[in-house]
Amino acid sequence: MKRFFFCMSLMLSVSGAKLWAEEPVWFGKEDALRVLYINSAMDLASFEPILTEFVALHPDIRVAYRDVNTLELYYQTIKEQKKPQASLVVSSAMDLHLKLVNDGYAQTYQSSFTDRLPEDFKWRNQLFAFSLEPIVMLVNKKAFPGNLPEDRQSLLQTIRQNEKAVTKRIGTYDIRKSGVGYLLASQDARQADVTWGRLLEAFGSHDVQTYCCTHEIIDDVASGKLVLGYNLLGSYASQRARDDDRLKMILPKDYTLMLMRVALIPKSAPNAEDAGIFLDYLLSDKAQGMMQTQGLLFPIRPDLNNPNDPYVVNAPGPTGVIELDQQLLVGRDYAKQKRFIRNWEMALEISEDD
Amino acid sequence: MWQKSLNHRNLSEEEERNALRKAPSLRVRFIVGGVLVIGIIASLAINLIFDYSQKLADLSYDRLLRSALLQMDENVGLIRNEVSIDIPWSAFATLAQAEEDRVFYKVESLEQGFITGYQDLDSMPPKPPVLDQIQFYNQEYSGELVRFAWVERYLTDPETAQTVRIVLGQTRLSREEMASAVTQKAVEVVVFIALVAITLIIIGSHLVLRPLHRIERALEERAMGDLTPIDINTPKETHHLKVAINHFMARLQTNLEQLENYTADAAHQLRTPLASLRALAENARDNTSADNTSPERQYQTLENIVKQCDTLSQTVTLLLNQAVVSHRLQTHRLEPIELLEPIKASCREQAVTALHQGVHLSLDCELQQTLILGDSFSIQQMMQNLIENAVRYSGLGVEHATEVIVQVNEFERFYRIKVIDYGGGIPDIEKERVFERFYRGRYDIAGSGVGLAMVKDIVDHHSARIKILDTEPKGTTFQVDFAKFTFNEGTT
Repeated sequence: MKRFFFCMSLMLSVSGAKLWAEEPVWFGKEDALRVLYINSAMDLASFEPILTEFVALHPDIRVAYRDVNTLELYYQTIKEQKKPQASLVVSSAMDLHLKLVNDGYAQTYQSSFTDRLPEDFKWRNQLFAFSLEPIVMLVNKKAFPGNLPEDRQSLLQTIRQNEKAVTKRIGTYDIRKSGVGYLLASQDARQADVTWGRLLEAFGSHDVQTYCCTHEIIDDVASGKLVLGYNLLGSYASQRARDDDRLKMILPKDYTLMLMRVALIPKSAPNAEDAGIFLDYLLSDKAQGMMQTQGLLFPIRPDLNNPNDPYVVNAPGPTGVIELDQQLLVGRDYAKQKRFIRNWEMALEISEDD
Repeated sequence: MWQKSLNHRNLSEEEERNALRKAPSLRVRFIVGGVLVIGIIASLAINLIFDYSQKLADLSYDRLLRSALLQMDENVGLIRNEVSIDIPWSAFATLAQAEEDRVFYKVESLEQGFITGYQDLDSMPPKPPVLDQIQFYNQEYSGELVRFAWVERYLTDPETAQTVRIVLGQTRLSREEMASAVTQKAVEVVVFIALVAITLIIIGSHLVLRPLHRIERALEERAMGDLTPIDINTPKETHHLKVAINHFMARLQTNLEQLENYTADAAHQLRTPLASLRALAENARDNTSADNTSPERQYQTLENIVKQCDTLSQTVTLLLNQAVVSHRLQTHRLEPIELLEPIKASCREQAVTALHQGVHLSLDCELQQTLILGDSFSIQQMMQNLIENAVRYSGLGVEHATEVIVQVNEFERFYRIKVIDYGGGIPDIEKERVFERFYRGRYDIAGSGVGLAMVKDIVDHHSARIKILDTEPKGTTFQVDFAKFTFNEGTT
């Protein structure tokens, strides 16, 4: 009966969220003693069961979940530094989050769960990663001309060979609007500068479509408007590819970027205590297990007992884990960022005010 | 005679324990001293370590900072007359070796202004800026102490010239961690060494003092009256102590032997007159019991007893005086006195006694001031003995001498006292022996045999000289020289 109530409230709130984007999605009892506001750049679909389980475990906490774009999340956290609304900020734009910590906007949190976390997955006990997912290409099997690409080189080849079929039908992030999009582009440039240059050139000459958010790209790939989405978050892509026959997720063979989703507690968070409880829950075996078994996210330490599990990353080539350390600051260097975006705009033939 | 502790008494066991408790302990002193020295050294070392570990941590992490700064510096260039920088990823990968440390930086050109980084960062170094010279310094930023590396460089191409300044900083977390790790390790070692040293001192103090305990036990376990030398093997350091104790015991033994002799002689001295007194008394008793004794004889016998009593009394007085004198010689310091005073006093005292024996005693002296360093009582005793002696020997010989003269003369450095008699004189062979204790030249004359020995003691104690000369035509002259007292001498 209780479960049913949750489901009902969930469905109501999900529909509500769509109507008023500013309104948070509520989880838990209305008369709960405490409220935990979470700002997150994560699709609710991946987070919903985890949140539902959390409020079931902690009936005295009510969670208000607000979905915010990664870049907005960054500016909002800085803007609200004196009196932040959210007590936990979750993002996939590791670099922006790391910059927030570096610039002193986060507070320290330590528990047995964070202590258990490997050193590579946290920074200064202020920034914590709770998932590690691959960055993938998603293709529409029917619409894609020729053989499906297995790496960036073969993608370039396909573009050259099927100019007409791919023009305006490749989608990727607008790195000016999406924090995670910028991070992935800059990591591409770092991993393979030449390939990145060629790819950008090919994208530009074939009118690549730019998006703010992952699910819009996936929607367009599914509908056949796009044949390929480049640099998509693995968790969303695999969810959709699992349910949709038209879609296929490809882990590039030349190298597969691995991205962490990270969380921090703002410095003067109103409810840091519950934020800590939620963070512990996210890092707990229970939540990590749910991510894998329910196909929500890629957990940090997946259960390797089932090798065919799509949520265990089996990259065909080398993986390039984006390291959670000070190097991320370089990508966000003011001069470098300006130059990188200008180059990107020039290559894609987009004017600055577009 | 011996110097004795004035208030010598046997301590009760409790008092001895108290004394022992109050007495400073050599071992405790040794240990406390050692521990203090080691403590001071250890704390100095720890202080140095604190300083050194900070420097060491800064040295190692400054290298990272310098390397990152140089990598940034290498990527500064002029593009279309504008300064541009492309920070290499590797620069921050270098800094990421200090895993938890936040990074701040700023690049600016003096002509163009802010280029990239943290705009509100203070880019003025504490020391005057010198081109191409890297400066390191600590500065507060973003609520934390940050270690900064600073460099300024001149960029030039044909059309423009700019001065570029790069400031790169990282927080000090890793440095502090390293410093405290180094410090902790080093402090552990120092403390361990100090503890070992203290333990060694404690053990060493025990070992060092063990020979003393052995000597102590050897002395304690001795039978009463055992004055033989200690015969135990001791290390070099206590050898002298052992030798000193043995010497001391040898001296003690000599003194004891002297005492034994003296006691025996004194007993002998007293026994002889007592025996003769007894004989006289018996004689008197027998005379009284016999009816036919004349009153003259009875009177004569009693007179003898009285004489004998006087003699005995003199002997006892002499022995007592001698005891007093030797005590004074041991305990009283010599002080400036008038030599004439005790001489006059003893002459006055002896004049009547001498007259009884038909001897005229005269003092021949014209001096007014006769300062010497001495003890008045002792000198009076000395004079008394000499005069008594002279008077006594005047009665000897064929013709009864009737005069004893005491002379005091002044010489450049000393006063000479002469006691001249015209008695029988002393044969040359005996002159050497008269000062020996209990030597008596003539047993037919009353005397203890200790008088001249005491004179000798007193003379020696005053560092004076005594000589026995023959008086012309016959008799003996005792001549004593006392050094004059001068104030200079007294003060030096």
